[in-house]
Amino acid sequence: MSNKSMLGMTIFVASDVVFFTVLILSFVFYRDSLANKGLPNDFNSLDVGVTAIYSVCLYASSLTNWLASRSHRRGDLKMWRSWLVLTILLGAAFIYGEATEYHHLVSVDKLVPNTNLFGTSFYILTGFHGFHVTMGLILLAILLVLTFTATDTFKGGARAGAVEAISIYWHFVDAVWVVIFPTVYLWSLVGPSWAASGH
Amino acid sequence: MLTHSVFNPVSPQALAISNLFIFIMIVSLVIVLIIVGVLAYTCTHFRYHPGQADPPQTFGLTKLEITWTVIPFVLLVIVFAATMKTVSISAPPDDNALAGRTPDMTIVAHQWWWEVRYASGVVTANEIHIPIGKRMLVALQSADVIHSLWVPQINGKTDSVPGQTNMVYMEADRAGSYESACVEYCGDGHSRMRALVIAQPLAQYQAWERQQLATPPAPTGLAAEGAKLYQQFGCQSCHAASIGPDLTHFGSRGTLAAATLTNTPAHLDEWLHDPQAVKPGANMPNFHLSTKETRMLAAYLESLK
Amino acid sequence: MSVIPTKRPEKAPLVPDLAEPLPWLYKDDGLISWIGSTDHKQIGIMYMLTTLVFFLIGGLEALVMRLQLGAPDNHVVSPQAYDQLFTMHGTTMIFLVIMPMLIGFALYFVPLMIGANDIAYPRFNALGYWVFLFGGLLLYASFIGGGAPDAGWFAYAPLSSDFKFTSNLGMDYWGVGLLTTGVGTLGAAVNVLVTILTMRAPGMTMRRVPLFVWMTFINSILLLVAIPALNATIAMVLFDRLLHAHFFDAAAGGQPLLYQHAFWSFGHPEVYIMIFPAWGMISEIIPVFTRRPIFGYAAIAGASVAIVFLSAVVWGHHMFTAGMGHPLDVVFTISSMLIAIPTGIKVFNWTATTWGGTIQFTTPMLFVLAFLVQFTIGGVTGVMFAAFPVDWQMEDSYFVVAHFHYVLFGGTAFGLWAGTYYWFPKITGKMLSETIGKWHFWLAVVGFNLTFMVQHILGFLGMARRIETYPDLPYWHLLNLVSTVGSFVLAIAVLVFVWNIWVSLRHGEPAGNNPWHAWTLEWATTSPPGVHNFEQVPPIRGRRPLWDLSHPDNQDWQHGEGGKGI
Repeated sequence: MSNKSMLGMTIFVASDVVFFTVLILSFVFYRDSLANKGLPNDFNSLDVGVTAIYSVCLYASSLTNWLASRSHRRGDLKMWRSWLVLTILLGAAFIYGEATEYHHLVSVDKLVPNTNLFGTSFYILTGFHGFHVTMGLILLAILLVLTFTATDTFKGGARAGAVEAISIYWHFVDAVWVVIFPTVYLWSLVGPSWAASGH
Repeated sequence: MLTHSVFNPVSPQALAISNLFIFIMIVSLVIVLIIVGVLAYTCTHFRYHPGQADPPQTFGLTKLEITWTVIPFVLLVIVFAATMKTVSISAPPDDNALAGRTPDMTIVAHQWWWEVRYASGVVTANEIHIPIGKRMLVALQSADVIHSLWVPQINGKTDSVPGQTNMVYMEADRAGSYESACVEYCGDGHSRMRALVIAQPLAQYQAWERQQLATPPAPTGLAAEGAKLYQQFGCQSCHAASIGPDLTHFGSRGTLAAATLTNTPAHLDEWLHDPQAVKPGANMPNFHLSTKETRMLAAYLESLK
Repeated sequence: MSVIPTKRPEKAPLVPDLAEPLPWLYKDDGLISWIGSTDHKQIGIMYMLTTLVFFLIGGLEALVMRLQLGAPDNHVVSPQAYDQLFTMHGTTMIFLVIMPMLIGFALYFVPLMIGANDIAYPRFNALGYWVFLFGGLLLYASFIGGGAPDAGWFAYAPLSSDFKFTSNLGMDYWGVGLLTTGVGTLGAAVNVLVTILTMRAPGMTMRRVPLFVWMTFINSILLLVAIPALNATIAMVLFDRLLHAHFFDAAAGGQPLLYQHAFWSFGHPEVYIMIFPAWGMISEIIPVFTRRPIFGYAAIAGASVAIVFLSAVVWGHHMFTAGMGHPLDVVFTISSMLIAIPTGIKVFNWTATTWGGTIQFTTPMLFVLAFLVQFTIGGVTGVMFAAFPVDWQMEDSYFVVAHFHYVLFGGTAFGLWAGTYYWFPKITGKMLSETIGKWHFWLAVVGFNLTFMVQHILGFLGMARRIETYPDLPYWHLLNLVSTVGSFVLAIAVLVFVWNIWVSLRHGEPAGNNPWHAWTLEWATTSPPGVHNFEQVPPIRGRRPLWDLSHPDNQDWQHGEGGKGI
């Protein structure tokens, strides 16, 4: 990877992994805490099924993102744009889903960061991930606009590195969710260790 | 100079640590002297003289480099072995040692004083008595932020962390009064959160214990007036609820304000008059007492032997 | 980028004429060009000057602290003010002085040393500097914005994370300020790493790059691991403070020790981040003033790589007193003792370089010699802490304060001074005065050691750190007074240094391209370099291209040094 843009983005992404690792470890550390008992927690508040649907949107957006890269490398401007649009729509669907989930958790389950340890560690982890997704959507949107207004910039494969770099970022954001979804949501199906059954 | 330092230990734990420390310092001193010595030699024997040609351009000497990798490694293995030996003597109790044993005392750290509760029922603050020769098991807790009680001549420190209980041993092999302080920064009163550990022969310790468990004598005269004021101002609402130090036997203590002042009527007067002037940031409110009121209260408190 | 002649042409200029002169600070039209600059050299200089100013501020904070501690029961400042002073002193020196100053030198010299004409992302580099400056100003705005941070530079929870335990909003500034400066720091790390990986001149293989470049390379990796850990920790603290969350709230099941684990995962790599570039400078300077190659290049580079891995598994040695449990205590003791070995190897190699050389006692070399002794002292006290029973006694006492000032001031700061005297001619085209430099050196050595040597003893005697007053126990007053006097001698040394810069900028002897007859690529261009660094670099077949050029019959690669590659 001798292209500077791609190398730089890869390095940045690698360091961001450390950031998420600390937050994931904190979530895992507090997940079985007795302090969550009797209050909203992962077992009784999270809707895994609905979140799974939005997760599939995010994972699919990685596929469309890869297809967009492939079209770009082949010089197929029209398909490149189409796949980019689809990627953005799927990513936006994920954000929409997360927003409605937050809304439900706050208004119905009464779960906010200061409710308990679950609220604290859940919101920081998924919140920062959602923030990263949003930044990615902005990057993709800027790229999409540029494919319309500045087609000359990309002529002859110029700026390919920068385009790939954005793609790397989007894949990273997806990869983090590949870890978060099972850790937070799938694990919640099992229930905390202090619950023999139910809440 | 080192009479009141970690190098004048009064317990088996502190002695073991002191010996380890001195051993490592000697090894370290040798290394520093070697470096200083070599540099002193090279700086005198290999000086540049104007016009001098370049010295031989050598790049390293693998055998030498391996030697000075292996020797430090061996030294460290020795230091590690010495460390583990010291740990076996000085370490806080592990789960095995604790099995079935209740702590002899529990120390709860507060901003900015030490609450001391003995298994025998004695409750006091800032002044910790132990009998000579007995290895006391001490539970450390905190009511607010992280604190750390350090008695250099008796043992290394273990922190008082809110939400967990840490266990340490406290033992002394001779009588004495040992300076102690909070060493984990805990806010504005950190500098003035000290304590005294008083090691006594068993007989004296037991006498102290009896005195602490007995009801203090009924106050008379000025002290009785002070007792009435004590009720009136509702002092017990903090001082009996662990918000402030327990004062039941205040008159028996050698110091006040977390061992930062000696317990004299004059100092007590100063404190009652304006706690924040003595200890900025102290949680005790200023009751704006008149001199007459502080004298009465002081008399009462000093009568609580 | 560069043209490598296979045979040195007869009349080709080795050092190009300046295409465009580098703007000077005191030229009239200069200032605007500096503000809009994306040149790595100008940005490097801006980092260096900004951090020098923060160094003076942090130093002033220290002087006030030493004045307060000069006598027991002193009333120079209140406890609240003192708590803000020591928090800001630590935060300033670490985040606004040492880290960015080392970054400034890296940004300036890494491209030059590898034969590149700029850094990988020039505009991002500029952004990084301004964001860093903004973060620093934000931190200092706290003094007038509700009170400066007062929970200590490492801000243990729950003291830092719960409003009811701190007396002002300062910790919010601490969190947001450090998140902000972190952007600049992280950006510089990415920039330097990509530059080293992709922009080396042909022939400049990784086995031939100067040790300063190796150290900066490793430093960037450490930064990329450490800064995100710090960001996550700060995020958790701000969550607790601003959203009343419960990460470290014991009453709600939170654990203060989680903070310490997360923080020191940043904090330990951080201390290596604060020394690595200085080690790089030492490695460059010793050979030049002993007129011979560094002893054991591969060992020094290899030991540094070993330290990267080891530094990731020693963080618990900051928590020996917290009650982690025996097994963890033992693990961290082993790793902490092990890390002494690669560090020791470096000291031995540097010392061995002086053997059989011809030593020139220039000001940079004097600072290097002091570094070697002082850093070793700081290093051995570090090994004492690795033995955890000793740590149980000495942790949180003035012995710790002495230890880290010996490595960070006696080590890093002296290394930085050596680097400044060495590279000032290249940056400015003028020499720093040797006479004033020697005054600076001796005042610094006396002042530094007077200040901090006695603090070891205060630690033995039981003096806690972060206290603004102490009881009149035997010798406490005397030792503290000696330390205070030393700090003022050190302050004078710093003023002499600043004066040296000021005077030399105006009347310094012109330096020429290579006043020290050194051998790495930065000396193969003008002083200061033109905007485009090099038009032509000398052939690179070993670690000392300029030595090879001037000694065609005795080139390093003929002795097998520097590996293969064009």
